[in-house]
Amino acid sequence: MDKLLDVKGLKTHFHMHGYTVRAVDGVDFSLSEGETLGIVGESGCGKSQTSMSVMRLIPDPPGKIEAGEILLRGRDLLKISEPEMRKVRGNNISMIFQEPMTSLNPVYSIGYQISEVLMLHRDMTKDDALKESVRLLKLVGMSDPEERVTEYPFQLSGGLRQRVMIAIAMACEPDIMIADEPTTALDVTIQAQILRLMADLKARTGTSIMFITHDLAVIASFADRVMVMYAGVVVEQAPVRDIFKKPLHPYTQGLLGSIPVLGEVKKRADGSRQLLNAIPGSLPDHRNFPKGCRFAPRCTKVMARCWEAEPALVPIEEGHQVRCFLHSDAVQETPAYAEVKRGQQRKWQRADRRAQGAGPASAATGADKTGGRS
Amino acid sequence: MSDTLIKVTGLKKTFPVKASAFSSKSLTLRAVDGVDLELKRGETLGVVGESGCGKTTVGRCLLRLYEPDAGRVWIEPDASLVSQVSEIDESVAAMAEELATLSGQPTKTTADKARVRALKQRVLRDKARANQLASTSDLLSMSRARLKANRRRIQMVFQDPWASLNPHMVVKDIVGEGPLEYGTHSGRELDRWVHELLEKVGLPPQAANRYPHEFSGGQRQRIGIARALALTPSLIVCDEPVSALDVSIQAQILNLLISLQDDFDLTFIFIAHDLSVVQYISDRVAVMYLGKVVETAEAAALYANPRHPYTISLLAAVPVADPEHPNELRPPEGDVPSPVNPPSGCTFHPRCRHRIDVCDKVIPVLGKDRNGHVISCHNPPNG
Repeated sequence: MDKLLDVKGLKTHFHMHGYTVRAVDGVDFSLSEGETLGIVGESGCGKSQTSMSVMRLIPDPPGKIEAGEILLRGRDLLKISEPEMRKVRGNNISMIFQEPMTSLNPVYSIGYQISEVLMLHRDMTKDDALKESVRLLKLVGMSDPEERVTEYPFQLSGGLRQRVMIAIAMACEPDIMIADEPTTALDVTIQAQILRLMADLKARTGTSIMFITHDLAVIASFADRVMVMYAGVVVEQAPVRDIFKKPLHPYTQGLLGSIPVLGEVKKRADGSRQLLNAIPGSLPDHRNFPKGCRFAPRCTKVMARCWEAEPALVPIEEGHQVRCFLHSDAVQETPAYAEVKRGQQRKWQRADRRAQGAGPASAATGADKTGGRS
Repeated sequence: MSDTLIKVTGLKKTFPVKASAFSSKSLTLRAVDGVDLELKRGETLGVVGESGCGKTTVGRCLLRLYEPDAGRVWIEPDASLVSQVSEIDESVAAMAEELATLSGQPTKTTADKARVRALKQRVLRDKARANQLASTSDLLSMSRARLKANRRRIQMVFQDPWASLNPHMVVKDIVGEGPLEYGTHSGRELDRWVHELLEKVGLPPQAANRYPHEFSGGQRQRIGIARALALTPSLIVCDEPVSALDVSIQAQILNLLISLQDDFDLTFIFIAHDLSVVQYISDRVAVMYLGKVVETAEAAALYANPRHPYTISLLAAVPVADPEHPNELRPPEGDVPSPVNPPSGCTFHPRCRHRIDVCDKVIPVLGKDRNGHVISCHNPPNG
C-alpha cells in the first residue's frame, strides 16, 4: 500500500503566559490509501492537536508547529503557502468536528454551506452546486433533501447536523477525512447510525479516515489500525486486533481495563462487585513532563530507569510499535537523556533485576498476565 | 421497617415551552409522564435512556429540585398507608376525569352545574385528605419542617464537576455546609469530619483549604461525592457522575462509588446514558423513553435477555470493545420524537420494528413479563 499521508517528528507547542505547553511532542505516523487510522487517548493527550496540525489550523500565536514534516503524497504541507494550503483543505483533506452545532454557521442554510465547498473547489455554478448538495444530502441518508437544503442548522437535530457535516466533508471526495470525535456529542443510537453511515461511505468512496476518539469501543468496530497517544506522544501503534487482544503498553492495558464491558458481569467470590482496573492518578502537567517516561508516575510496572530516560517507539512485531522499557531497551534521544551517562543505564538494569528478584524476562511475562483480557 | 427505601408512584412533571421564538402561545413539554419506581435499601438502580427521555428530571424531582406536578415520592413507606392513599388518589383521578368530560359538554342544565360543583368539592376534599394521610412519608406533601428533616437523607452528585461547585468557597466549606446547616457537626468536630470524608474519597487533607479551580475534573467529582456524603444520607442520586470524565478517571470514580456503598450503607440511583457503565454498577436497571419507564429488570437479565423492542435496539446500538465481535450495529431508525407532541399510543411505535395495529392507538401499561422483567409493550418480540 502506498503511503498517502506521512507525518514525521511533528511537534506542536503552545507558548502561553511565559511557559510552553508541549501538546504534540514528536509524533510519527502514516496513513495508507483506504485505511482507517484510529487515534485514541484521554483529553489533553494531543490527539486533536495532531489532527489540527495536519490541517494547519493551529492558532498562531499561541500555537506553533515547531518541527516535523507532514507529507501528503510526498508534498510537505508545512512548506506550502497559505493560499495553497487553502486549496488542500476541504479538497484533499476534510474534517468533521465534534460539536456539529458550533461548527456549522447558524446564519446560512445548510444548502449554502455545502454549496460553498463545491463552488470554491470545483468551480461549480450556484445552481449546479445546490443540485449537487441535494445529491450529497441524499447520500448521507437525509429524508426529503430537496426541502432540507433550505433549512438552517437550528432546525436540525444533533444527528442530522452531523450528517450535514459529513456531507460537507465528502463534497469534494477528499483523499483523507479527519473525524475528530464525530459521535461524542450524540446519543448511542444516533452514534450507531452515524458510524454505519461513515462505514458505508468509506466502502463506496475509498476515502482514508483518521478517526479520533476517546471511546475504545467505537475504535474497535471502526478502525483498521490504532494509535494510542499519551501526553503528546504515541505510546503504542498496532493493527486493531493486536491493540485489543495483546496490548503491550501498560497505558493501553490500563485503558482497556478501565472500561466496563457490556454483558459481562464480574463478581468476586463473596458476591460483591469486582472493581475496575482503574489507572491511578491523572495526566501529568503539560508544562512540565516527567523527565523519563511520561506514564511512569501512573504506571503499575514502573522500573528504576523509567524515571530517568524516555523509551523510544520501536517496532516489536510486524506493524506493532510500542514505547516501553518492558519490551525494548531503546531510549528516546532527548536533551535530558544526553546528560545521563551510559554506565548509569547498566546500574538501572541491575536495580530492576534486583527488584524483581529474577531475570529480565520476568517483566515481559508479567505484562502478558495482566494484558490478556479475552 | 420495610426494606423499601423509596417508592415513586405516578410521577409527572411538565415544563411550559414557547411554540416558537416570537410566539406567545405556550405548549406543554411532558418531561416525566407517569413514572413508577421502587428502590430497595442498599441496591443500585440504574436509569438509562437517550437524551431528553426525562431521566435527569426524575432524579431532580426526587429531591424536589423540580416541583413535580403529580405523583408521590414515598420515603420508607408503610405498605398499608401507601395502598390507602393510592386508593383515594385513584378515586380522585376518576372524579377529575368525570369532571373534565362534564365541563366539556356544551349545554348545561342546572342539575349538571350542581353536580359539577359537588364533584369539584369532593375532589378538593379527597385530595386534601390523601395529602394529609400521606404527609408522614410522602416527600411531595410533607410540611416544610418534615421535608427538611428528610432531605438530608437524599443527596445528589451532579454531572458537571465544573459547574456544580461554588468557585468562591473552599472545599472545607463546600463539604461542611450541610452538616453546619443541620447542626450535626460544628467547630473542630466539623473539621475532623471533613478531613475524614476527604480521606474516604481519596483526597489529601490539604485539599480542605483549596478552591475548586485548583482541582482536576476527577478530583472535583470526588469533592462532589464528599459533599453528598457529609450528611450520611441513605440515598444518593448520581446524575451522570462520570460522563464528563476521561475513561481512566471514570473507572476510578466508579470504583470509589462502589466501595463507598459498602462503607456508608448507601442506596444509589445511577442516571447515565452509557449502558456499559450502568450495567456495571447497577443491580436493577430502568430503561426510560420519552418520559416513561418502558422496561425494568435485574441488570444481568436486562442485558442478557432484553424484552422491550426499545431496550433491544438500544443495546444493539452499543459498540463492543472487541474487534472480533460482529459489530452489527442495529440502531432504531430516526430520532427521538419531541416530548411536546409525543406519538399516540405507544410512544416508541414510529421507530419500532415489531409494531402491530394496536400500537399507535392504545398506550401500553407496565406489566410483569417473563423472568421478572417489567415491560410496557403490546407485542414483545421473542415470544
